[in-house]
Amino acid sequence: MFKRLIILSLFLILSGCGYNTLQSSDETIKASWAEVLNQYQRRADLVPNLVNVVKGYAAHEKDVLIEVTAARAKVGSIQATPELVNDEQAFKNFIAAQGQMTSAISRLLAVAENYPQLKADGLFRDLQAQLEGTENRITVARNRYINAVKDYNITVRSFPSNLTAMMFNFSTKASFTVENEAAISVAPKVDFNAAPVAVPK
Amino acid sequence: MFSQLRYAVGLFLLFFVSTIWAEVSVPTLSHRVTDLTATLSAEQSAALENKLVAFEARKGSQIAVLILPTTQPETIEAFGIRVADSWKIGRKNIDDGVILIVAKEDRKLRIEVGRGLEGAIPDAIAKRVIAEIITPKFKANDFAGGIDAGVSQLIKLIDGEPLPAPTAEDVANASQDDSSDWIIGIAFFGLLLLDMFFAELFGTLLGTVCTGMTAGLVSGGFAFFSSFNIGEAVIAGIGMFVVGVIASCIFKVYSAFSGSSSGSSWSSGGSSSWGGGGGGFSGGGASGSW
Repeated sequence: MFKRLIILSLFLILSGCGYNTLQSSDETIKASWAEVLNQYQRRADLVPNLVNVVKGYAAHEKDVLIEVTAARAKVGSIQATPELVNDEQAFKNFIAAQGQMTSAISRLLAVAENYPQLKADGLFRDLQAQLEGTENRITVARNRYINAVKDYNITVRSFPSNLTAMMFNFSTKASFTVENEAAISVAPKVDFNAAPVAVPK
Repeated sequence: MFSQLRYAVGLFLLFFVSTIWAEVSVPTLSHRVTDLTATLSAEQSAALENKLVAFEARKGSQIAVLILPTTQPETIEAFGIRVADSWKIGRKNIDDGVILIVAKEDRKLRIEVGRGLEGAIPDAIAKRVIAEIITPKFKANDFAGGIDAGVSQLIKLIDGEPLPAPTAEDVANASQDDSSDWIIGIAFFGLLLLDMFFAELFGTLLGTVCTGMTAGLVSGGFAFFSSFNIGEAVIAGIGMFVVGVIASCIFKVYSAFSGSSSGSSWSSGGSSSWGGGGGGFSGGGASGSW
């Protein structure tokens, strides 16, 4: 009788510990995800200013400007809420849209390299600095989110907390993957012999 | 034959480990200016340190400078956030810390700005400090001048920002040595002496209880006088009673086994290092190169 009591209490203590860890890990994930969304939003807010400055110097680079504006609109149309973490397909779509925005911005900045007056513009330099800062913040926020998901997944999968997880329907959560894994495995071609783009007057 | 195999496996593993190119480890934080490349002379380093100490005492915000040879294989941004997460410069919940990192051989530098100062030092401004103030001096090989000018500009920017005033605790940390470890050592030693005394006087069981009660009363009193909160004082008192009882039991067991009744020796050296205040960073700031 006494032995059974001890075993039962041990079992309760063990699973009790697991339950609290799961709760706090889950909350940490939510907070980290909110921070990631925060930084993505910050980047999205910078883009209209960037487009306006570039338009002032390179109005006929229509393709790139339209591409960036379209990417911004697409990102704005996706409802970025904390629940996004739990829906794998919506999560993937969101990440894909953000990836498109990243490429569009880099293309715009690459084009801006051809316009020395634009490069010298104080506002453009400030915007570039802010974009770099925001990209770094996004990286840091994603890293923290990935670590939070890792800790949570470890708790969900380890014994004995996986029993608690099963009891209360906690499942492993998705982490960030790299979009276009195949594309980035190919090294970019650097060709110094190509003719430089003509600088318009 | 089996032991030879073990040696072989051990050597192989050792070799394997030594060929891994490890990340640069985050240096330990002990002073506001950490120069691992001997770029600054002793006077320049001390002058900069004094400037930062005075700034922290005046404003409460913390600035740290780190000069190291390289951050490879990481980028300076990735290294910077690791340093920031480890050092936790800036006050807790106010997050008003700034770290200036110079990777001398990489020819890269970075200003890592804490969350609370992102209004005073936005990324664009940090980039301007790097590009307009620090980098020109670095290009002329004037590292001390560049760092000093950069720090002065950062101080100016933070001065313009309304932050909570530094409390007496912050000021004390800024200008005094941190001797709390030393006090704990002495207190613990005193507790064990008391325990021996009580054991002589009252016998084993009652002596243990008396030790616990003394510990509880003393710490409860301290807690009450430092926070004027009865609840906290009671909790501290009860907690320390338990700790006192456990410590006294452990001490008795230890002395029974070792046969000696003298206390152990405690290191009572004070440490003169400085520490971060628990501030958070979110990856803001700017990088540059020269």
